[in-house]
Amino acid sequence: MCFNACMLKAQIPQGFSPIFNGKNLDGWHISRTTHQGTTLGCEVKNKAICITQKPFGQGGVLLSDKKYKNFELYLEAKVDSMSNGGIFIRSSESGIAYQIEIDENAGSTGSLYGERMPVSLSAVAKERAKVWKANDWNAFRIRMTGDTPHITLWINDVQMWDVQEPKNDFIAGAVSGMIGLQSHWTALYSPASGEWNGLTSWAPGAVHRFRNIAIKELE
Amino acid sequence: MKFKTLISFLLLFIFTKAAAQSPTYTNTFGMQFVLIKPGSMVACKFQPTVGHVDFEGKPLPEKIVKEATAMAKKDAMPGFKVSITKQFYIGVFEVTQEQWQQVMGSNPSVFKSDSSAKQPVENITWNDAQVFIKKLNATDKDHVYRLPTEFEWEYAARAGAQDDIAWKEIFTLAVLGGNTPSIGGTKKPNAWGLYDMLGNVWEWVEDLYNEKIFADPSPLQNGKEHVLKGAAFTSDVKNATYMTHAGGPGNGFDIGLRIVMEVK
Repeated sequence: MCFNACMLKAQIPQGFSPIFNGKNLDGWHISRTTHQGTTLGCEVKNKAICITQKPFGQGGVLLSDKKYKNFELYLEAKVDSMSNGGIFIRSSESGIAYQIEIDENAGSTGSLYGERMPVSLSAVAKERAKVWKANDWNAFRIRMTGDTPHITLWINDVQMWDVQEPKNDFIAGAVSGMIGLQSHWTALYSPASGEWNGLTSWAPGAVHRFRNIAIKELE
Repeated sequence: MKFKTLISFLLLFIFTKAAAQSPTYTNTFGMQFVLIKPGSMVACKFQPTVGHVDFEGKPLPEKIVKEATAMAKKDAMPGFKVSITKQFYIGVFEVTQEQWQQVMGSNPSVFKSDSSAKQPVENITWNDAQVFIKKLNATDKDHVYRLPTEFEWEYAARAGAQDDIAWKEIFTLAVLGGNTPSIGGTKKPNAWGLYDMLGNVWEWVEDLYNEKIFADPSPLQNGKEHVLKGAAFTSDVKNATYMTHAGGPGNGFDIGLRIVMEVK
């Protein structure tokens, strides 16, 4: 019974269109200018996009080819502990974006942050622990609308926060952008650059998995 | 005797010509150049770092550090020697909006204002850069201009450095952060007198992008995108190093160029 109920839940909601076909990465590409890394590991396994570092210490951002302005995004994520990633919304090609943080180690999964830009109003998913299923699939629904972004997050169908930004934080005033899935970097190219304690951001071999990625474009 | 004299004259001519190259040059558009002399560097050497502590400075579990160290060792790359055999001039600054306007008669920059003339031109594709260079060559027939190759760019950016650059030094050289590029030369120049090689705007180079972390020893003959070097104001200290090998199309509004003037 439980198995069937879980399977039923893991479906794209009505009115949403898939933007990942479950087979390959058609419609997606890797950012070649993000500081996270330009050779991200991303493979499709068991109908899910699996994001890893590649080579060691280099993360990256997988971007949708298409840009979206007003939308609701639905996806399910299963993430390893001790790994820092995120869901980027209205992302630029280099990964400048509003970000729904995914970091189980820091306990900040579901927080609203900015990637390479300060965000006027951030947010914390205070009620997440009540609905979160550790080491399992969790459903994210993110609604983003307006030239001055209005962003709402639901996790497993429960609203976490609703934020009306006081201004558009994007450089050059972008009002549309790509969907992005991020793996954080942990290593510098050489010890000559300095010391970095980044292992906490992505444990060796950690994986973030995303499936049933779908979007509903809004007026 | 005659043969020896001829050889002596020839050698004298070659040395005189080499010595005659001015270390700097300014063209009729006010573009300043520095002479880059031949030499070599080890490029594309990957020695990934492994942290041993967490963000609070507490030691990480030994198992994780051990696993990470093994992975880092497995993925490390020794790099290879690159020789720059021919001297060339390279722009002291990124090409400015004013210079682009003078050559092209228009300014495509996103960050255009009454006070942006000395900011780098941006919002240009690699093909736009080629059109600019073609027009510049047609206007100034005394010189040959082009984009640097990736290795010429990196050799000039390193300015003699054999290993990667330290973060604390990057912060003194690179415009990082903010909402717009800065006018050229607000940060310290590198050891060879070049400004903004790191940060400010990404710079197009001649080579095609190979979709790998670093360049191959020989440039690709076919490819979809071209290489970007040097990072931009939108970047992070992590990738504002001369080693970063990025590719187009990028954001547009943080992409410009720096040009080479060939030595005759």
